[in-house]
Amino acid sequence: MKINKKSYDDVAKFFDFFARGDMRRWSPGQRTLFQNLKGRVLYIGIGTGQEIVNFPPGLDITAADLSFEMLKRSNERVENYPGKIHRCQMDAETTAFADNTFDTVVTVCVLCTVKNPIPCLQELKRVLKPSGELVMFEHVLSKNPVYAVILKLMSFITESLQGTYLDRNTVVNVEKAGFKIHSHKNVYLDIVKALRANY
Amino acid sequence: MNLKIADFFIGAFSGSLVACVVSLLPQPSMILGGLVGMALALPLKVLLMPFFGAFEVMIPLGIIGMTVGMTTGMLSLSGNAAISLGGSVGLIVSTIIYFSNKQLTSH
Repeated sequence: MKINKKSYDDVAKFFDFFARGDMRRWSPGQRTLFQNLKGRVLYIGIGTGQEIVNFPPGLDITAADLSFEMLKRSNERVENYPGKIHRCQMDAETTAFADNTFDTVVTVCVLCTVKNPIPCLQELKRVLKPSGELVMFEHVLSKNPVYAVILKLMSFITESLQGTYLDRNTVVNVEKAGFKIHSHKNVYLDIVKALRANY
Repeated sequence: MNLKIADFFIGAFSGSLVACVVSLLPQPSMILGGLVGMALALPLKVLLMPFFGAFEVMIPLGIIGMTVGMTTGMLSLSGNAAISLGGSVGLIVSTIIYFSNKQLTSH
């Protein structure tokens, strides 16, 4: 399936319903990961804004998403956030920001959906200040062969339905893009991970 | 409902359901049972994911569908024996995943 704006626009109306269970599971892990966010924050893949409730108050966030429908559905959550959120529609692989703009870049389940994960990470590195931090809440392919087979089989379905790949090795991709992971925590098995990296 | 407790119920319920369906096959076998179990696990995953989380449903049901289907087909079980076996295997798989998760997330 070709992942494009139209695909995400189509998914937008069902997104909250299907991600409801994940949010119930992952919210505590996300709150812990996000508690020390600082400075100017770039939030890639805001979607319908489900994770906004897990951000600490008072941040200055620039949120980007490829889909206009997703951004539209995030209105209420953005308005209720006790801080600043500026939204823009753009592709994570080719953002319009200048080099070294952000102190923190946050991704939540983005690297499983972008077409080219390594160029996307290199783009995030470009806009991140050298002293900045990449904060990721992502799912990856398990090292356990049984879980990995299940994820690979399911990936055929999720790729065509939602454009989500369940078999990506994001930890390796992050390092290939030139980042150094300095904090690595499993949230569910070795599939859902909370990562912090810099370069 | 506490999601951790729900995981065990999901395991037992889906195991029983798969075993029940496989036991109704006219000529059950290990391979057919496994295939039916895997096929049945798919709509179950779609149904349960929005309420209990994608990976927390996908991983146990992926294992339970195949193992319970194969075992029920191989042993040609029927009725309460099949349901009990399915429920037990589902519960065991959920327990193994629970402890595996506990170990992996404790670091």
